[in-house]
Amino acid sequence: MPGIYLHIPFCRHKCTYCDFTSFPNRLQYAEAYMACLYKEIEMRGKELSDVTFDTVYIGGGTPSVIDPNYIYGAMNQITKCFHLSRDPEVTIEMNPGTVSEKKIAVYQRAGINRFSVGLQTAIDSQLAELGRIHMLQDYMYCASLLKGKNFSADIMLGLKGQTQEDVRRTVEVVALSGAKHVSMYALTPEDGTPIYTDYLNGELPDGDEVRALYDYGRELLEARGYLRYEVSNFAQKGFESRHNLNYWRRGEYIGMGVSASSFFYERRFTNTFDLDEYMKCILSGFLPVIESEQVEKKDAKFEFVMLALRTAEGISDEKYRAAFGSDWRQDFADAYARTAQYLEETPAGMRIRDEYLYVQNQILTEYMNG
Amino acid sequence: MARANRNLRNFCIIAHIDHGKSTIADRIMELTGQVSKRDMEEQLLDSMDIERERGITIKLTPVRMYYTALDGEEYEFNLIDTPGHVDFTYEVSRSLAACEGALLVVDATQGVEAQTLANVYLALEQDLEIVPVINKIDLQSARVDEAKQEIEEVIGLDTEGCPCVSAKEGTNIRDILEAVVHRVPPPEGDTDARLRALIFDSYYDNYKGVILFVRIKDGTVRVGDKIRGSLSDRVYEVTEVGAFAPHLQPKEQLAAGEVGYIAASIKSIEDVAVGDTVISAAHPETPPLPGYKKVQPVVFCGIYPLDGSKFLDLKEAILKLKLNDASLTFEPDNSVALGFGFRCGFLGLLHMEIIQERIEREFNLDIITTAPSVSYLVHKTDGSELYVDNPSHLPPVSEIDYMEEPIVKAEIYSPPDYLGAIMDLCQDKRGTFRDMTYLDTHRVRLEYRLPLNEIVYDFFDELKSRTKGYASFDYELVGYEKSKLVRLDILLNGEICDALSVIVHEERAYARGRTLCENLKDAIPRQLFEIPVQAAVGGKIIARETVKAVRKDVLAKCYGGDITRKKKLLEKQKEGKKRMRKIGTVEVPSEVFMQILKTNKDK
Repeated sequence: MPGIYLHIPFCRHKCTYCDFTSFPNRLQYAEAYMACLYKEIEMRGKELSDVTFDTVYIGGGTPSVIDPNYIYGAMNQITKCFHLSRDPEVTIEMNPGTVSEKKIAVYQRAGINRFSVGLQTAIDSQLAELGRIHMLQDYMYCASLLKGKNFSADIMLGLKGQTQEDVRRTVEVVALSGAKHVSMYALTPEDGTPIYTDYLNGELPDGDEVRALYDYGRELLEARGYLRYEVSNFAQKGFESRHNLNYWRRGEYIGMGVSASSFFYERRFTNTFDLDEYMKCILSGFLPVIESEQVEKKDAKFEFVMLALRTAEGISDEKYRAAFGSDWRQDFADAYARTAQYLEETPAGMRIRDEYLYVQNQILTEYMNG
Repeated sequence: MARANRNLRNFCIIAHIDHGKSTIADRIMELTGQVSKRDMEEQLLDSMDIERERGITIKLTPVRMYYTALDGEEYEFNLIDTPGHVDFTYEVSRSLAACEGALLVVDATQGVEAQTLANVYLALEQDLEIVPVINKIDLQSARVDEAKQEIEEVIGLDTEGCPCVSAKEGTNIRDILEAVVHRVPPPEGDTDARLRALIFDSYYDNYKGVILFVRIKDGTVRVGDKIRGSLSDRVYEVTEVGAFAPHLQPKEQLAAGEVGYIAASIKSIEDVAVGDTVISAAHPETPPLPGYKKVQPVVFCGIYPLDGSKFLDLKEAILKLKLNDASLTFEPDNSVALGFGFRCGFLGLLHMEIIQERIEREFNLDIITTAPSVSYLVHKTDGSELYVDNPSHLPPVSEIDYMEEPIVKAEIYSPPDYLGAIMDLCQDKRGTFRDMTYLDTHRVRLEYRLPLNEIVYDFFDELKSRTKGYASFDYELVGYEKSKLVRLDILLNGEICDALSVIVHEERAYARGRTLCENLKDAIPRQLFEIPVQAAVGGKIIARETVKAVRKDVLAKCYGGDITRKKKLLEKQKEGKKRMRKIGTVEVPSEVFMQILKTNKDK
């Protein structure tokens, strides 16, 4: 079922690896920005009045950095303007350095029932290197506030000097803190971020080293009951992120806020990345869309495969047929023949074999352009 | 009988690379008002991008000028620029055949160079009047008198009153023009005789068809005339004749003694070979002029389209280049690894590089080139002989009695400081020392006999790096010698890749195999499976490296906002794959086929 994404572009300090749309030290804009976001929610709500949404995801930036009452207001606006399912999954991203008991209480009153906490690593020196504003003890405090609730923790791999021991300590902290879900990402050094310099100077672990950390982390996570359901996502049974699964099933979603992306009626569109332009548009009554592209059927088929092959459920023969009216093995006959040895059967279709999931681009490129 | 124009002077310029030939040509054109200084692009004659970038002349480029001499008369000059590199000797001999005189440019700081000599001898063979010109007199290190002395001693030319100039500063350029007027003889020839015109170059124009560059030896040619080549029956009607100004400038006619071009809507490139004679269709019995000495290619390589479906485009490109560069030879070839392509022969390594670059630039084609090879003489056990330049065409070992390889006489000029380094290198390359002469206190000439196949490998780069670029080098083929040669095969994932096979000396096989495997290991991207890279001689593995399987190739995150961007990333990755060829199960980047040239030191 479709999802809703809200982007909160504020943070206290930009992390050294971050290339998301986020504006440190512009918290004074929060009030005006949120007013615009409410307006956009209203505009989009009218367009999508006949759609039922199953998930809401509030991401950033650091959504937890702003006054929680703004978040409450946004959720209030969502429930007023959109039709949500009976038991929606509502997630907010949090930085452990910005939480309080009161904030979490407000979030819960707003209907938020899932929390995604950005730990990244349990090693304080590595947190400092990443430009994170929190330390391990902040995470411990945050986790204590979330005890018993549905929360997820982010772990990052490929940090400067990171060892297997560091990964083990981080996984242990996460497991003991009671997280139901773990996202374990490889750091991607993007051009233009401070950490890119480290990458250029060869100071970050190379692909082989990251893979070793990943395999080790995955082994530890699975031993603690977190099963991999997507390349970088692990969850206890029943705690998979519905919002994210929707992306990988090529489901529809509406994104609101600066830089937010949407996919509806086979069209992908994106809001402006410029905060001022975003607000000007909304105030003048326009949707701030800067890019919009109709997805051709051929591309749609590739997207389906590319996204599904990230997951443990893999490509579902039936769902593919339902979406396109054809058999994916025939649509991609050549690519399938070339890659079948790296795939395995599932009850519903095919997925990438475990050991090849982390080299999947090699397989995906075969499916591109025939 | 009507004589050719007495005020006509056809001449060319001979010089070693870097001695300033193109700059002198530019100054001459400036002074004759052919181009205004303002309009002048540096080195006007070097019109190909590659020529400008490398600062060398590859193609001969004719230009016509008018000069009013100090005697008050106006003269018409045709200047034909020539390349200086050893590989292009053939082009030089073609331009010489269209001239009566040659300016011999000698750098006052360098003196007479090996290459200069070779071209002077070519000019003397053609009975050209040679006018020495000393250039770069503006430089601190200029040794004008020594240079003159060298010209007199080494070449035996009189340097009395020869122009001493600085092309860079434009000093004494008029002296050159006066020398051309007074020392270069006017052309002979009868303008009323039957047409005989020597084709010294040609190129293909999309609108006019083949443009023939000719020197009219006898007779006159006008628009509307029916002409033909002496070697072909095809008759063409002349649509345009003209001069080089330096761009094509139509004229009413071209008469004996003149240099110019003929266009006749000639579509078939094969009908008008460079070196052939244009004659009147009405007199097919007219005897042709002596053509050029046919040159033998010495370096060979395979050229294949990166995209197999572009074979016909590649064929057209090579045909058109051939029209413009008669020394290029080619024949269709078929490789198991690379599909259909051409086996091409070149006059040398630089020639090979230039042709490869021209195919890519002028025809916008992506190509794969295999390692250069030379032509081996194979004596089979049944007593027959054959020449093999393509390693994959070598007969089975059991059918080979013995093989011979081409040997060159190499002359290396260097300051004495690097003697040891050069001798070590030649030793490494299976060279035999022949002679050493001190030309003066700071220059030594070394003569070695070297197998050509060592030279096409990495000799030149090594020589440059071991002598900090000070040594210069020239070679000529002297014959074949019996040698213990073997074919070194490369196996990728257990399969022989024919495009990577090389013929090497038996003693070299192990080291080459090692280096090759190491280089290939680095050049082949990691793939989903482990790839053994092996070198083998006669079925026996002599070296092995392994390309490890790729361990991480994944988009870490892929959420709502990422999908379009990530799709683009994958597309880019896919583009990279398109630049590769699939050899069996292995994706191999096109550059790999030249890796064979690289040495360990490149790493």
